[in-house]
Amino acid sequence: MKLTRRTAIAIAVTAALTPAAAFAEETVKIGYQLPLTGNTAQYGQDFKDAAEIALTKFNASGALPVPVEIIYEDSRSDAKEGVTIARKFVDDDGIVGVLGDFTSTVSMAAAQVYKKAGMAQLSQTASHPDFAKISKWQFRNITTQDQEGSVNAQWMLDQGIKKVAVIAEQTDWGQSVVKGFVEPFEAAGGEIVYTEFFNRGLADFRPIITKLENNTPDAVYTGFFYEDGGQFLKQMKQLDAGIPVYSTSAAYNDKLIELAGDASEGLFLTATFLPTRMDANVQEFVGEWSKTHDAAPGQFPAQAYDAVNIMLSAVVKAYPEITRESLRDALAETTDFPGVTGNTSFDENGEPLKELTKASVSNGMFVEVQ
Amino acid sequence: MLDPYILQQLAIGLSLGMIYALMAIGFTLIFGVLNVVNFAHGEIYTIGAFAGLMVISVFGPPLLVVLFIALATGALAGFGLERLAFRPFRRFSDEASLKSRAMREATLMSSLAMSIIAREAMEMIFGSQFQSVDLAYLINKPIGIGPITIVNGDLIIFGITVVMLGGLQWLLKKSPVGLSIRAVSNNALGAKYCGINTDRTIIITFVIGSAMGALAGILVGLYYGAIFPSMGFTPGIKAFVAMVMGGLSSIPGAVISAIILGLSESLSTSFMSSVWSDMVAYAFLLLTLIFFPQGLFGARRERV
Repeated sequence: MKLTRRTAIAIAVTAALTPAAAFAEETVKIGYQLPLTGNTAQYGQDFKDAAEIALTKFNASGALPVPVEIIYEDSRSDAKEGVTIARKFVDDDGIVGVLGDFTSTVSMAAAQVYKKAGMAQLSQTASHPDFAKISKWQFRNITTQDQEGSVNAQWMLDQGIKKVAVIAEQTDWGQSVVKGFVEPFEAAGGEIVYTEFFNRGLADFRPIITKLENNTPDAVYTGFFYEDGGQFLKQMKQLDAGIPVYSTSAAYNDKLIELAGDASEGLFLTATFLPTRMDANVQEFVGEWSKTHDAAPGQFPAQAYDAVNIMLSAVVKAYPEITRESLRDALAETTDFPGVTGNTSFDENGEPLKELTKASVSNGMFVEVQ
Repeated sequence: MLDPYILQQLAIGLSLGMIYALMAIGFTLIFGVLNVVNFAHGEIYTIGAFAGLMVISVFGPPLLVVLFIALATGALAGFGLERLAFRPFRRFSDEASLKSRAMREATLMSSLAMSIIAREAMEMIFGSQFQSVDLAYLINKPIGIGPITIVNGDLIIFGITVVMLGGLQWLLKKSPVGLSIRAVSNNALGAKYCGINTDRTIIITFVIGSAMGALAGILVGLYYGAIFPSMGFTPGIKAFVAMVMGGLSSIPGAVISAIILGLSESLSTSFMSSVWSDMVAYAFLLLTLIFFPQGLFGARRERV
């Protein structure tokens, strides 16, 4: 055989590429779809930071002989983008499992792709009641609004509150907040005097607040995130409404107190994560987070941190025979995973079973209500 | 007697209207002269708010100083915007290029491009979340008047809108600068032939209009305590609708339309879900275009 220059180059190139290819095959790849730009970018950025903390710690721990890699894709909280990313992840044979997305709407759109292709999808925040029911491939690490709503309903009734106004953002998630609360509350004898939805990012809540006051409720139950929450609370105080406000874990964020100041005093909400809790893993996460952030982590980054860790521990369980199928089964078997948001197990639908903490704002801090 | 509920909604609507008017003034001024929509006005508004915010967090000066710095930043931004997005596409040398739609549409695109660049840059630098504002600077201290509640910001914004409107009318009607602005807006080529420096006049218009836009930005930012990179978008749309309703180039018309818009939005919440209140602006836009193509106050007035 005559060794031509072309063959020589081909051999050299092959030799150079082989170790890299072999190495690439050994890395376990996980996809993460999340909004890194657009008007929900701040949440996605937090997820990414939390995921990096979890991943760095995991890869340094040597729990697996090969490194795990997370591939981030920016969905801009846009359902169309989310589906495109899902197709991309599914087409990449190296990816064995997926984390994300942020909103229920995008997660549910992408879920159809994962359902068809058979890829486990673990969302840290999609709390729409129907998300986990889509197929056996969907999991989440956030309590649903059905759970939060019934805890809040009972809490209010215990305080002697009978007439409630309900306000939520006009999204799949907002609808589920209202439904999750109204059903148990009315079943237990409460009365809903006013229901209103608003567009996310609404600047002026005062027309709604005025109308709300006109219905004289004992309390308001709200489904909003911290930015809308800050605006709502400030304007409630401005109009001197004097009506207690209850909310969900979505409003739980130190930024809420920063934005609303005094107006946030006395806000009641349910949450799964309090950075002030003294458990060792909570303090470890808060410590790592504080190295790169000014504020303590809110509930969302904590949920992302746990979701990544749950995924990683499933990878360990499935190793070395990691396929999309075996990773899903390993995820489904998760029981009492000791995360920073409490112990997590998945039920047969991929729903997490967690305990909710009742909290309220007092002297500019979220404190546990006993 | 009206019941307090309606009175309160009217008061809120009036304050919403004033906020839209504040933005619509600068917007309409620039349109009146150039006959093109300045899509970057919303970003000038945001830049004003951010400039004010930075001054507050670094130096913490009195409110009046903050407002003047926002004003100055807006003037500077307006100057830069004109230089980058409008001047390169301007040809006042002959009748044909003056009437060319392609020329006008080019600035539509270039101002849109500038607005996207500015917004994305602010998102990269500051992040897209609400910035924390020193709560002491917020102009939302409640003032009770009988059964209704307004805030000190309403009075400040009302005062500034009146001063801006009055000052602008004086400037346009009585001063030599105003005379040249009106001349350029009436017939740019004719003005040029009469020896008016059209380029300079247009720069001045941009500087004044953008300074007002930036002032609106910091005022509204402090009114709501919400300063973030995409804050200019919604008020930009409302200002645009007010401008069209007011007859495209009439500043008092735009202000009156802005107040009508604010009142309708606030009252509409009483009759339908708040989700639909944004639709009010678009419905007004559509109705105006169908039934009053000249705008509600457009037909009989001089431009600007």
